[in-house]
Amino acid sequence: MTRTSSLMLLTVAVALLLAALPLVLPPFYVRVGQLMLYSAGLGVAWAILGGFAGYASFGHAAFIGVGAFSAGLVETRLGGVPPALLLPIGIVVGGACCGVLSAVIAYPLLRLRGTFFAIAMLGVSNVCAELTNNVDFFEGSLGLTFPTVVPASLDPAIFFYELFLVAGLVVLLIAWKIRDSRFGAGLLSIREDEDTARMLGVPTERYKRTAFVISAILTGIMGVIYGHSLGYITTDSVYRNDTNLNLIVYSLLGGMGTLFGPVIGAFLLVFITQVILGRLLDFHLFATGLLLAFLVLAAPGGVIGLVRGWRQRRKRTGAVPAE
Amino acid sequence: MSETPILQVERLSKSFRGLAAIADVSFAIAPGSITSIIGPNGAGKSTLFNLVTGYLVPTAGEVTFRDRRITRLATNRIAELGIARAFQIARPFRELTVSENVRIGALFGKAGARDVAATTMRGMTLASIAHLADQPANSLTVGQLRHLEIARAIATRADLLLADEPCAGLNPTETAAMIDVLRQIRASGVTVVLVEHDMPSVMEVSDRILVLDAGRLIADGPPQAVSQDAKVIAAYLGTPDE
Amino acid sequence: MNLIAQTLADGMVLGGIYALAAVGFSLIFGVLHVINLSHGILVLIGAYLALIFTELLHVDPLLTMPLVMAALFGVGYVYQRLLIQRAVDSSPIGSMLLTFGVALMLQNVMIWVFSPDMKNITPGWAFASFKIGAVTFDAVRVSALLASLVLLSCLAALLKFSALGRVIRATAQQTLAARLCGVNVRHVYALTFAVSAAFAGAAGIVIGIILPFSPHDEATWTLNAFVVVVLGGVGSPAGALIGGLLLGVVNTLTAQYIGPSFPNVTMFLLLVLLLLVRPNGLLGNAFSASR
Repeated sequence: MTRTSSLMLLTVAVALLLAALPLVLPPFYVRVGQLMLYSAGLGVAWAILGGFAGYASFGHAAFIGVGAFSAGLVETRLGGVPPALLLPIGIVVGGACCGVLSAVIAYPLLRLRGTFFAIAMLGVSNVCAELTNNVDFFEGSLGLTFPTVVPASLDPAIFFYELFLVAGLVVLLIAWKIRDSRFGAGLLSIREDEDTARMLGVPTERYKRTAFVISAILTGIMGVIYGHSLGYITTDSVYRNDTNLNLIVYSLLGGMGTLFGPVIGAFLLVFITQVILGRLLDFHLFATGLLLAFLVLAAPGGVIGLVRGWRQRRKRTGAVPAE
Repeated sequence: MSETPILQVERLSKSFRGLAAIADVSFAIAPGSITSIIGPNGAGKSTLFNLVTGYLVPTAGEVTFRDRRITRLATNRIAELGIARAFQIARPFRELTVSENVRIGALFGKAGARDVAATTMRGMTLASIAHLADQPANSLTVGQLRHLEIARAIATRADLLLADEPCAGLNPTETAAMIDVLRQIRASGVTVVLVEHDMPSVMEVSDRILVLDAGRLIADGPPQAVSQDAKVIAAYLGTPDE
Repeated sequence: MNLIAQTLADGMVLGGIYALAAVGFSLIFGVLHVINLSHGILVLIGAYLALIFTELLHVDPLLTMPLVMAALFGVGYVYQRLLIQRAVDSSPIGSMLLTFGVALMLQNVMIWVFSPDMKNITPGWAFASFKIGAVTFDAVRVSALLASLVLLSCLAALLKFSALGRVIRATAQQTLAARLCGVNVRHVYALTFAVSAAFAGAAGIVIGIILPFSPHDEATWTLNAFVVVVLGGVGSPAGALIGGLLLGVVNTLTAQYIGPSFPNVTMFLLLVLLLLVRPNGLLGNAFSASR
């Protein structure tokens, strides 16, 4: 109990610090910060299904794309609506579309397990991308321009930075609530052994579906904001296969199945690729691949796993002389 | 046997590709009893458990729990009504500690209000593994895992416990401890049905024994009577496996 | 009518190549239970090696096959022993991600070495063609299909009749029992991987002859292999052939009658449908123990 509340305090403190940072950061780092917060929000939303319930999706970019495009298509048709209302409307529309889509595909897809589910989701992402690109109504190949929603008095970069921060925090709090609930314990038992979970009375099918839909809606909402922050999107800018991969890497890097793992992982990976390797674009694939191989072989528990292991070893070596 | 049975199995059959694993089996279990189901390997004992817990759908027949037909219910719905199962090969949630494992049982299981912490503690105490509460499940011995399996099942607050060979592979001390646990569980008001190979334990703990052979129920009665039944001796006890 | 016949014939040719390109992936999946996401890379390495050997030795590309297969056999063996083996016992997602990491690295290396541009292997007989009835076959495609069928048959025979094949099948079915019988499981795993890589390389040559290729294609070939295996079933050349032909025909039919820009839509609808109806593929798992 005390540990949870101190973590909560720490989170609030870090969030306040992050909120104040754009005042002192140069513009380049504000953009990097945007990307970090966006990625962290996505990572946590992914982890509600992939980390908590163990259903690793390899195609969550589908929901980023569906969220962004559905919101954009509706918003561009709402000429007379004041700009301040457009973004909330877009968020509702994008979230709803992702919710409906995920609720429908949940029935067939969640019967698949492990790698089959992962790859089937990749299929979903590719299919959505293809439809967006080739059906004229979706304007995916030409591109879609979002109406401006940033108040004229604000710097757009800072506006979206703060928006991503708020959205990311909301996602984190939802995930936090879920993890500490009965629902969260049920998801955990599904990850550990789905058959046993069902035998203990966990309504596994309903829980998996619910986790999938929540994860999809939150991902879609992040996608809506992302679309606005870009201002103009095409199929290729939202349905990105590197996003599909990165969402897994965030959790792997930070700690699979943990709450803060994806946040740590997203911050680290974005920092590595944008700041350290920022000028070495040719090297990105290689670096991501190397990191991935290294994580699987040397640190399957990610950063949080390393810290926990180190703490346990220290506790054990500390305990021996005392006895 | 005048009370309403807690579990009633009527003319239950299950065949796999034409092969009958359970053929026309009927019996009723009285509340508060310990019943053992015995029989040679392949007699259909585990299939019977799988049918009762909803893992398999029977080819014919009905299973009734209290007054409720459960024949085609999903496994988790059956658990919500109050039937729990402990597997022969323990299936703990390996990454979790003992108390976290048992807590899952307490959080779910039989529908209705509960005090999760107290139920978790009670499950661990009844199965006498409370001293291992903070151990990770993947560090337990085979014997301890069996107790964990039982503790988790009890924490669901089930009224009927189906235990699949809880004593298999345990040494005499561990077996004695397990029998003690089963008795305490019964004393706490839970009806127990065992599948068991270890004949001395079966004879010692059971009120009643059902004998399955090739999917059919060939004998039913108190331990003494069953052990002297000619059919049973021919089918099972006549060829002791030790 | 002619159009349908031509489309079906094209689909069969394409399908034969899909099958050859997938069979190694299928073998690894069946024996090691590893989803090898670097499979497409092995196929491309085969194509690039064939390109190099053809130019260096001035021979017909198909004749470089023994060299390419031998090279990839070695690469596969070492790759499995040094890297994959370490992740075999971890979660399935773990080994899958490891191979994905390797795929990303090697794709990057290929871009450095071979440039990101499209390449072609053009044999001397590239433009010959003949007709059966109203259906046109060009020599390149027919030889590609023939090469695929011959190689698939060879692998099927190898698995069925050779001592190595028996050990591979035994290990796949009962890993523990095989180990108890004195089988060096790691060695068998590595040999399986080596065989699989060799066939991927051979597929690379065939692909290189009929299609242009670039380092970015690796994901396509990996994904195709995955789809073929899900369609046909795990572990057997026959399953790969059926899955490959099905995928080839569906792809050409879709391109012809629905539109060339929707290959994934039909492919994945087919895939998801089949996963639901027959989770083990049309031929099932060649290695699963009979019950």
